[in-house]
Order: sequence, then C-alpha cells, then structure tokens
Amino acid sequence: MIENGMNRRDFLKVLGWGGAAVALTGCGNTSVEDGKELITSYVEATDYMIPSIGVYFNSTCAQCDAGCGIMGRVREGRVLKLEGNADSVINHGKMCALGQAGVQAHYNPDRVRDPLLRSGSKGEAITWEKALGLINEKLGGAKGDEIAFLTGGMSGHTKALLGNYLEALGGAKHYAYDVTAPAVVRAANKKAYGVEMPHLRLDKAKAIVSFGADFLGAWVSPVHFSQQYARFRKGENGQRGVLVQVESKMTLTGANADRWLAVRPGTEGVLALGVINALGAAGLYLSEDVKSLVKDYAPERVSKETGAPAEQIGKLAALLKERSPSLAIAGSAVEGYAHGSQIAAAVALLNQVLGNVGKTIEAPANVPFQQLAPAATGRAALVALNDALAAGKVKVLFTYGANPVYSASSAMKFKDNMKKAAFKVAFAHYLDETALEADLVLPLDSALEDWGTFVPAYAGDVAQLGVQQPLMEKLHANTRGAGDILLALLKQKEADKYKGFEDYYAYLRTAVVQNKAALGGAGADDDTFWGETLSKGLVKFGAAGGSLSGKVSAADVALPAAAAADAQFPLTLIPYVTPNQRDGRHANQPWLQEAPDPLTTVVWDSWVEIHPKKAAELGIVEGDIVEVTSKHGSIKAQAYVFPGIHPEAVSVPMGYGHEAMGRYAKDVGANVLSILDPVADKVTGETALNETRVKIAKAGKRVIVVKEEGAAGGKQMGKKIAVRVSTDKVDLSEEV
Amino acid sequence: MSVTNLLENWSQFRKSHPEGDVPHAEYKWAMSIDLDACTGCNACSVACYAENNLPVVGKEKFLHGQQMHWMRVERYWDEDGRDFPDQGAQFLPMMCQQCEAAPCETVCPVGATNHTADGLNSQVYNRCVGSRYCSANCPFKVRYFNWYDYPTTDDVWPAEMSQQLNPDVTVRGKGVMEKCTFCVQRLSAAKNTARNEGRSVKDGEVQTACQQACPTGAISFGNLMDTESRVYKQWKNQRVELDKEEQAKDKEEGGSKLRGYRILEDLRAYPSVMYLERVRESAV
Repeated sequence: MIENGMNRRDFLKVLGWGGAAVALTGCGNTSVEDGKELITSYVEATDYMIPSIGVYFNSTCAQCDAGCGIMGRVREGRVLKLEGNADSVINHGKMCALGQAGVQAHYNPDRVRDPLLRSGSKGEAITWEKALGLINEKLGGAKGDEIAFLTGGMSGHTKALLGNYLEALGGAKHYAYDVTAPAVVRAANKKAYGVEMPHLRLDKAKAIVSFGADFLGAWVSPVHFSQQYARFRKGENGQRGVLVQVESKMTLTGANADRWLAVRPGTEGVLALGVINALGAAGLYLSEDVKSLVKDYAPERVSKETGAPAEQIGKLAALLKERSPSLAIAGSAVEGYAHGSQIAAAVALLNQVLGNVGKTIEAPANVPFQQLAPAATGRAALVALNDALAAGKVKVLFTYGANPVYSASSAMKFKDNMKKAAFKVAFAHYLDETALEADLVLPLDSALEDWGTFVPAYAGDVAQLGVQQPLMEKLHANTRGAGDILLALLKQKEADKYKGFEDYYAYLRTAVVQNKAALGGAGADDDTFWGETLSKGLVKFGAAGGSLSGKVSAADVALPAAAAADAQFPLTLIPYVTPNQRDGRHANQPWLQEAPDPLTTVVWDSWVEIHPKKAAELGIVEGDIVEVTSKHGSIKAQAYVFPGIHPEAVSVPMGYGHEAMGRYAKDVGANVLSILDPVADKVTGETALNETRVKIAKAGKRVIVVKEEGAAGGKQMGKKIAVRVSTDKVDLSEEV
Repeated sequence: MSVTNLLENWSQFRKSHPEGDVPHAEYKWAMSIDLDACTGCNACSVACYAENNLPVVGKEKFLHGQQMHWMRVERYWDEDGRDFPDQGAQFLPMMCQQCEAAPCETVCPVGATNHTADGLNSQVYNRCVGSRYCSANCPFKVRYFNWYDYPTTDDVWPAEMSQQLNPDVTVRGKGVMEKCTFCVQRLSAAKNTARNEGRSVKDGEVQTACQQACPTGAISFGNLMDTESRVYKQWKNQRVELDKEEQAKDKEEGGSKLRGYRILEDLRAYPSVMYLERVRESAV
C-alpha cells in the first residue's frame, strides 16, 4: 500500500534501504507516515525523570567515525557523563578520551545558535524559513553539476538522505573528505584481500608487526582495537602476544611495542621485503616470483637503507616464523608517501607469505545496505573539489563535518578558490575557519541532541547500526539536526516523496520500523520494535562476511629507489595524528586540550619533535621556538627534543593552530597542515602526508614547554616506579 | 594534630590502619593496575574530569603546576643513553594511592584528611584550611590545591558548561585541597543500594570512572575483604600483602616470577594500589 504515487523501489531508496543485499519483507505506510499518530519526542519521556537519580539512555558516539555505542547519564534533564554501551560490538562498554569529551561538544559555549547570513564581514541572524528559502533560490540558478557537497565521514540515514538530495538536485557531487582517513590502506586492502577493511584479528595473532598503524591511538577504531590488544597481550596459556612497530615517528602504539624499529622515512616497504627475505633464508617457503622480488633485500642492504639494525630484522623474521598466526598491519606509512600503495602491497605480501590471510585477516561482516554504508572518505576528494572550485565549476558549495579552509595546505589556495563559488553554505557547530568564509551558516544540533543512525567505519565480525537519540532537550532553540535540514531541503525538491515525514525523527522511525525484519525484529509490533531499538541504542544486522578474494603478487610491489638528499630541505615532516586532536575538529573541547599528549605530555600547544642528535647538531634545546619551513610556507612552534623520532624527520601534531572556532581552540599552537607539499600517492591520488620536505631554524625566542612529565620530570631516579620485566623473568600462565 | 603529638605518638601513626582494634570490617577498597595492558591513552584521565568536576585550568596555570589531574598518566623513558627508546615508553596511571598509613593524614593540622572505615583516605573539603602540608608530605604527589576559585574563573565552566557538573560531587572552592577519592560518590551509592537490600556490595557492582572507561581493562577495582572479588584474587595471586612494607616474595632467591608491586613501598605508607609490571618480550 504505497501512497503518494511512489513505486516500491523509490520508497526503499527514500528510506535508505536501497542497494539492499538482503530481502526486505513487508511494505506499507505506518500510521505515523499517514499522519494518524503523533510522535512524542523521546526527550519528553518524563516518566524516567526521577530527581537525584541518574538514568542511562543509549546512543551512538559521534566524536569520530568508529561508531562506538554510548550511554548518557541523564539527571534532572541534563546529560552529565557518557559511558560505553556494553552491547556494542565496537567498544563493549569502553570509551576513549575523545568520546568522553562528547559532552563538551554539546555544552560548548561557542556553538552557533542561529542561522547566520553574511552581511559584509558580519553574520546576521535570520530565520530558518529565510535561510532555507535562500538556499532554494540560489540552487535555482545552478545546474546539478555546479553544486558540490563537501562532508566528513558520513553513514546511516543522514548519508542516505544526502544521497537522495544530491540526486534530486540533478547529480550534485558529494566530496567525502577526511585528512586522517586510511584511504590508501583501503584501496590497497581492496586489491590484496578483496575488501576495503578486512576484519583484523589482533586477538588471534601471536605476533603483530605494524607499519605505522596507530591502532591504539588514532587509527580507524582505537577502542575496538585496544580491547583486542588486551586479549592479544594476555594470550593463551601465558604466551603473551608480541608487538613490533615499524615507523619513523613513535605513535602511541609504537610506545607500547615490545620492539620499536625506527626506520628512515618512507623505507617501511624495504623493511617488509627484508623480512620476507629473512623468512626465506630461515626456511619459510617462498614462491619463485616472491623469491626473485626479495633476493636483493638481504639484511645488510635493508639495514643500510632503513637504518634498522640487521640483527633486529633477523629476530623479527624468526619471531614471525615461530609465532603463527601472526599479523602485519599497514598504517600511516602507507598514507604518508607517494609510493604508499607499494608499501601496502609489500605488507600484504608479507601477510600472504606468512599464511595470515584467512587466519588473522578475515572477511568483515557485510553492511547489507549500501546507501547506509560509511562514505569512502579521503584526501583526494578535497583536491578534486579544489580543482573544480578553481576552474569556477562550482556555483553552490555546501560543507558539513569538514573544515577545509583550516585543513587544506596553503599550496592549494583553497580559501581563494572557495570564493569563486557564488554561494557557500556551511552546516556548522562552531564558527570555524570554513564557516567564516561561508555566505550562510546553518547551526547544527549537538550529537547529544540529534537523531541519527551510524554504521561504524570498521565492522569487525558483526555489522551494527548505531542509533543516535537525543539525551536531553536542545540547549538552543534555533539549532537543527543535519537530518532535519536535509529533509527540509529535500521537501523543496521532491515534496511528494517526503511530505509524509513531519521531521527527521518521523523519517528515521519509519525507515527503521519498515525494515524491522532485516534488523532482527521480524513479527514484532512496530512500537515495541522501535522502543527496543531506542532502548538498546543499536541494532545488529548479523550478516556474516564471506571469504576473502583478492591476492597480491610479487609483480604488484615495485619500491622506488631511495629519495635523493635534498640540500635545501633536508628533513621529512611527519604530521602526527594525536589520539585527542585528530584533524583538529575537537580543538575547542578543553578537556582534550588539557589532557597531555601521551608521548610528549605537552598540553595547550603545538610542538616540533626533534631527535636529540639532530637537536644537538642544530644547537636546539627544548623550548626553543623553531621555524619549520617547507616549499609552501612556514610555521613556528616550540621544539621538543624527543627520542622517539628518526633523526632525519621532524614531527608536528595536527589539530592545532586554529584562527577561529572558539575560545579554547583559537591561537593555540600552529597548523602543520597549512605547509604540506601537495604530493599524491601515485596509485590512488590521495595526498601523501609525509612527503613534505622541510628545514628548521631557531627563531630566536625560547619558552618553557608546558607539559606533564610527572613529579620528577619524567625520571625514575633509581626508584621502582614504573617497572618493566622481560618475558623470560615472569610467569603469566597462573595470573588471575 | 600538633607536632608534639606527632612526635610522641610516632609509632602509632606509622602503622597500617587495619590492626587489631579497628580492622576493616566489610569493605577495603583497593585497586590493581596492569601496566602491560595500559597503553597510556588518557581515557581514564578524561573520564575522571567528567565524573569528578575537575576544572580545566588552562596553559598559564598549568605552567605553574596548578593542573588538577586527579588521575594522570606518567610517561617514562629508559635511561640507558641509547639512540632510540626501542622498547617503547613506560606509562603509569598515577592517582591517590589511598595509603593505609597515609603520610598526608598525619600532618593535617585540622584533621581534614583521614582514614575511613572502608580504607579510603578521605578529604573533608569544608574542614580543609589550605595549609598544603598534606601535599608536601605526599610521596606520590597526587594532591591538588585550588589556588583559584574555579567556579567563578572565566572559561572554566562558562554558562552551558556548568550544566555538565556532576551533582553527586562537590564543586570545590578556593583554598581547598583535593585528590582522587576512588569515586567515593559511586561507592556510597552502591553501598546504600546494597544496605537497603540487606547485603554487601558485589564484585563488579561498582566501578570507578577510570576503570569503567579503560579500553584495555587495565584497571581492576573492588573490595579486598571480599575473597570472591577480582582485586582480592589478583593481590593474593601476586602475593602482595596490604600491611607489609616488604613482600616475602621479593626476598626469595632468584625472584618470584610474579609482577605485582606497590610504588615506594619502603616508605611504609601501605598503598592500596597494586601495579603489575609492564612486560617486554625477550625474543625481539
């Protein structure tokens, strides 16, 4: 019984269940759609409000794309604290610092509160009617391909609505952009394993060698991986898993490795082939083509090129041979270099040689509904958008969940190019750098006020649809959810299809209830199913993954010769993705500014990591303000002399140096992204993050580095404070 | 407690609390932290900010050492002069160790910090006069002083931000010392519930905020008097005894192959937090 002249296929698409790989049962409008039943918002459930008693409501964390399940503690109508939802297959009740700070995104004093229309250099508060009317008017003068929508990571029904809207606009283009996205890793995985993100079984592996994947800190789904890591460390019968990390700048994961191998920037692939060579020498079977590929990668040569001790390469190979199954993970090394895809292929080959594929690398659960699946984010999207803007091909630009004016390299001249678009609309939580350049700013509900669904960026073995629901009344009367805005915009274009949905809540409820059979609610009463879904805060798809199909061959690996020394810019710049700041979108959450970086313990500022040897050579001491200069600009920040970095590299964290956004973010540190060289991975076209060559020089001033190194300045003074023991001196088998 | 009193009765002060006349009856809250599982990610620290109304002091006050990290993660490097820290860093979550014979308690001129029957080192905010003797005497440096009146300081809890404050926890004013309480508000609530139901708090029924957040489950917390609790089993398994300043296992020839220890045990403060040594593979 489909009304409104829609056919079934359209109807499924409207609701986001298009591209379904599983059968949908039942169809028809609900009483809500027909307008026979009123929706009472969940936030008005006063039944649960008992003074002085905290009640927990489930929702989904929106601080990153991992999609952890959360529970908000609500008391007297206010959300006080977030805890993990124990039922979530992603985080099993645990949380990271970033997630905890979600309440500060919600209560943030610098949120945008009204739709703002540019009037000279100021924003003038206008009504939503006027704002939406204005968008409609401006869109009228633009063809479909002259409209662009730049977003961060998106999934679930908001993404489905966006897709439908872009189509309704006649093929407007979606650019999904995230500077920290593992885009090259995904492309390489697709080739090697047939899937973009295989299910990595850290818990099954007896040894892990990670090539710069900071899976405990900021890579893909850190809380999920951290729990697997804990099981990996416990091991079986007291045999603890062994972690070796290969990278040029120590990440949080590197700091937790049994052996941290500092390699010359960009030589991770060489090391991977060196390990394969050593495995062959140790008697592991290698096919002829692999043998001929690695024959020149004897330990001496590999050691010379990478800087890692030859002895360690032998030990690593012996470890991997003995402790099977093992797991090699390709991470930020792959995102970093123009030959990143080649490094990934070398790592995949290592997994293949070790027989890990199918054992510790499994097929992930399927997300059966492609409309809801996470958008494939990357850095190439911003380059493409920038090119379109520069060519004057974009008339109307929407931005949502992305801050390109901040995060684009100055080499791209994004801010200037953006001006060429006649009308710029920013969906915004804060007046960040991008919102300040927009003509119209649409204020968003916080993640704790809004409705939505999320599909985690990393699925693991069970696909899950996280449900986001308001944990309290809106703080500001005039903000709106992204879903509500998109729905209102869609109604401008396709009123007939969407007129049945009073708001995004009605849409979401209809969508979820309509497909209840595929979501484990077959036969359930609609209200019961919806109530249970909200109560649990998630639904599991339960679609098991198939088998892996791809294969990498020796022919796929072609590592370039070592880069020639650059006399003018002798150092490699490694922009570091910190666990707390990521790409800078959380800079205005003060807990995250005051929480020390785990490795340097620096707070409230940027820093430039320099190896002690290099620092001595350049006469730099801790606290010297140094100028880091690339071909495309320079930044100044305090030097931090740091042993966990290769002497040929310097590292500066991302996320600092905002010129706007709010009181806690503005003018804190320097923006490393602004000086990156626009070099791309040769296969995928994704911007390579570590390809920037820099020189550093003292800028004259010296400051005291504000940091938390512990009471004795990071020294144990011979006392037994943080104690370490080697495995041969401890028996873990009898531990509780 | 005057200095005379302190000197005259020194031996009385310098012993662990649960002895003879006032033993821990029902509860003795204690913790164990597995440093091999701890990744140093700071989730515990931020969770503590959220739960316990800790002020964000900002860069300048942080520089002056006025930060309020009840739970802080210390980071240590090997001090062996090699080029690279090639066995990683060592992380140590450090918070009030809830000592049984707490050095901070004996020096408080007004008895604002003292021992509870549950084995907690409590801090009575409205009794504290701000002498800071306790902080000076704390070997772990885990006491934090309110140098400013944070509720009225700009940008600490501006307008909406103050709505996040946990009503179960006092917001401290200027001149008051504060520190980790083992989330005593959660303990009280759990004890009340249990008492109403005529039973003791069960293991796992109450979690501290840091423990609840910890992504690797490195922190266990519970009642050391409950022989069924995980924390009791861990302490027993590791042969760490609460009221000893030297553990028998450490005197064994060749070592015990156990990794439980307490920090600065020889100071005879009898901490209630046991750490499990970080492990590093010898084969690589």
